[in-house]
Amino acid sequence: MATLTLKQLKKQYPNGYKALHGIDLDFGEGELIVIVGPSGCGKSTLLRTLAGLEDISEGDLEINGKRVNDLEPAERDIAMVFQNYALYPHMSVFDNMAYGLRNRRTPKDEIQQRVSEAAELLGLTELLDRRPKQLSGGQRQRVAMGRAIVRKPQVFLFDEPLSNLDAKLRVQMRLEIRRLQKRLKVTSVYVTHDQTEAMTLADRLVVMNEGHVEQFGTPMALYDKPASKFVAGFIGSPAMNFLDATLEDASEGSGQDATLALPCGARLALRPETTVIDTVINNTLTLGIRPEHLDVLETDSPLPKGAAELNVQVELVEPLGADTLAYCRLAGQTEPLVVRLDGEHVVAEDQQLRLAITPARAHLFGADGRRLTTCS
Amino acid sequence: MRYNRPGLDIASHLLLIVGCALFFLPVWIAFSASTHEMGDLYSNVAPVWIGEAGLDNYRHLLEDPVSSLGADVMTLLFNSMIMALGIALGKIIISVLAAYAIVFFEFRFRKLCFWLIFITLMLPVEVRILPTFKVVADLNMLDSYAGLILPLIASATATFLLRQFYMTIPAELVEAARIDGAGPWRFLKDILLPLSKTNIAALFVIMFIYGWNQYLWPLLITTDADYLTIVVSLKRMLTTGDGLVPWQDVTATTLLAMGPPVLVILFMQRYFIKGLVDSEK
Amino acid sequence: MAHFNRHPITPWLLMAPQLIIVGVFFFWPAFQAIEQAFYIEDAFGLSREFTGLTNFISVLSEPEYLETLWTTMVFSFSVALGAMALALGMAVLADRVIRGANTYKTFLIWPYAVAPAVAGVLWLFLFDPTLGILPELLSAIGIDWNHNLNGNQALLLVVLASIWKQMSYNFVFFLAGLQAIPKSLLEAAAMDRAGPWRRFWTITFPLLSPTSFFLLVMNVVYAFFETFGTIDATTSGGPGGSTRTLVYKVYEDGFVGQDLGSSAAQSVLLMVIVGVLTLIQFKYVEKKVQY
Repeated sequence: MATLTLKQLKKQYPNGYKALHGIDLDFGEGELIVIVGPSGCGKSTLLRTLAGLEDISEGDLEINGKRVNDLEPAERDIAMVFQNYALYPHMSVFDNMAYGLRNRRTPKDEIQQRVSEAAELLGLTELLDRRPKQLSGGQRQRVAMGRAIVRKPQVFLFDEPLSNLDAKLRVQMRLEIRRLQKRLKVTSVYVTHDQTEAMTLADRLVVMNEGHVEQFGTPMALYDKPASKFVAGFIGSPAMNFLDATLEDASEGSGQDATLALPCGARLALRPETTVIDTVINNTLTLGIRPEHLDVLETDSPLPKGAAELNVQVELVEPLGADTLAYCRLAGQTEPLVVRLDGEHVVAEDQQLRLAITPARAHLFGADGRRLTTCS
Repeated sequence: MRYNRPGLDIASHLLLIVGCALFFLPVWIAFSASTHEMGDLYSNVAPVWIGEAGLDNYRHLLEDPVSSLGADVMTLLFNSMIMALGIALGKIIISVLAAYAIVFFEFRFRKLCFWLIFITLMLPVEVRILPTFKVVADLNMLDSYAGLILPLIASATATFLLRQFYMTIPAELVEAARIDGAGPWRFLKDILLPLSKTNIAALFVIMFIYGWNQYLWPLLITTDADYLTIVVSLKRMLTTGDGLVPWQDVTATTLLAMGPPVLVILFMQRYFIKGLVDSEK
Repeated sequence: MAHFNRHPITPWLLMAPQLIIVGVFFFWPAFQAIEQAFYIEDAFGLSREFTGLTNFISVLSEPEYLETLWTTMVFSFSVALGAMALALGMAVLADRVIRGANTYKTFLIWPYAVAPAVAGVLWLFLFDPTLGILPELLSAIGIDWNHNLNGNQALLLVVLASIWKQMSYNFVFFLAGLQAIPKSLLEAAAMDRAGPWRRFWTITFPLLSPTSFFLLVMNVVYAFFETFGTIDATTSGGPGGSTRTLVYKVYEDGFVGQDLGSSAAQSVLLMVIVGVLTLIQFKYVEKKVQY
């Protein structure tokens, strides 16, 4: 068990490309941290600098308060599970797991004991004599995890370990990794580009974009209060809807009566905090609303207080069983508006819908993409 | 759907069998001649069937020094074997190491090193024999195994092939090994060499044949019969001035000279074909 | 992909054996050859004089050199075309029979292992004017065979021996190339009512063209350099220089004639020829990579 501290960590490649621009993060003991972001955001580079596979250009990396920048991967007391498993093809399952221990001159009987423990834990006992070639994808994945477990490291690193598995197996292994991590209580850093995997696994989540940390927090904190438009669009599925909006002030100056005007003509009683209101008045802002937070109004029911009404036309319906997704056309908006309805709600294509946005469910982002704290 | 025609199949088999037989013909005629006494041989055109002498010619050649050579054929076979093994193993060892450095290490002048070695692909030893001869003479290596072997190792074919194989090894495998605490030498021994087994076997077949069959270089630098190789000896046996060529001995020696490489190719056929086809890439 | 980046000394230890051997036995002599080509040395090797391109000019204006160049071309293309045509024919047959293809392969690849000099001696015996069975057969149809006197016959002898040895190399590549052609293509052609002959010329042959081009270069290189043993063991370049190739002349002028400057200039010219051939081959490799 260990803490992991990153202080102003920077990585620049010899060709001048800057992959990481000063990362500050603090991971607690036994936490499962997931780093998520689109490809090229620097998440894999970050993981590889933690592992020691890439040199750190600037800043410090500490494990348990000890600076490890200059230590070889093997000296950092970490273990890593790779995307393509990276099993040694010419060695048996047993030897694959034992190799790291042998290199550390662990006594033979201890190797035997640790490997059989790990094999038992992962259900690999019957397969110890096999070669990686004779295993299925899921079994290889388990061997890769077993290789990490037998070392009893301070930190586990996972580099998109499930991306080579089929969908069903991926869900199953996801649960298994979660269960295993809780049981072993080893601090873990898990990199993925799959936001569902990220949400379901993480104790805390790091969202990265273009070499920066966009936000760091629990999955629900990121879902409820995304720090930026980027995070808002990345976390949650289907993704949040974004609408252009302008803050209009009827009373000139005070901002107290400012309301948000949408291109379709609807107005929403939502405005940023008074401290920033002057700087954004009459500017274009972005209104964010999740598909599951758009309420469908019956034809004659009244609009809730402070809410805005949107009249849309359904273009496409995707029934998913429990839910139904409706892709709708809204005047003044090029992107379709996605609405999540419960599965029983029957909608037809070309049908008109009345939708309500309540201010409490809406997110507001400035021109720079940062979240604006709001009051209604 | 059938698009094969049975008539064509039979014709193909026939042609192939005739082709194989024609290819074997020179060897068979040589073998028949090698089982005759010289007198029998010169009584008519070369025989097409085995003669009275059986394998006697071979026994004499292997046991007794041949007058035109100053050595027995056993010694020649031994020299050829030393040269072929020296070239094959020497090339494999230096290439395994150099390709490893070029593919798996980051160091200054890596590119330059690669090109220096790569250029050697372009010039076969035949092109630079004269100055190479001088260098080897200056180093006092005439009439020595080192002189036979070292200049023929100085080419990059094997390095190039191994480099191509190494580049197919996933980066993660190296990284996994580093995390497992394997340094460069341990990675080489525990992971890379076991994974290169078939490639090294393929290289061995190609290089052994290349080494055994060398002609011009050993011809130049060996004057001492103790270092004569069997392939080079043939011309000396043929050079008889005005006398009759002892064809029964020449053909026997010829067959002995092709024995080892042909056996290697037949027994390691799978590796040989892999080695050849890989070198195309 | 460089992975071990914290070991500054190790790569040099790994490179050292190869670098030393290549340096001493390749670059040193190669540079000496180039240098020598610009000097004229006296008969005893006591003094030498820088003469610029004189050696090259005298080599290139020497009728014997041009004759040798011509012989080399005739020889090389005869060997290349002969060995390739034969190999292609055998490979097509072996590819279509399916059953036994591997057995035929075993019976056809072994000549690759035979040294060029050994191949020469085997054919020398077949064509021996007193003992050989082929001159006996030829005399029945009125041809008088003696390659010791007849230059064209001598050339034919070394060409046949070289083809015999090189055929197996080409066969391996042609067979691999044929087996890589998807059967579905040929089946589609068959449904389009193309007979076996048409299928070969319209589908198989064009698809083999990269292999054929690669082999053409390899065969020419083989005929240029590796056939030295075949020639030296059988005809020694004779009679009257009719089987003298460029490499053979380098050897003759340098070791037998001791004309070091001329031999070195010829070596440099050969280097240029090989260089061009290699470049052509790289172009081909590059193209292949782009697929």
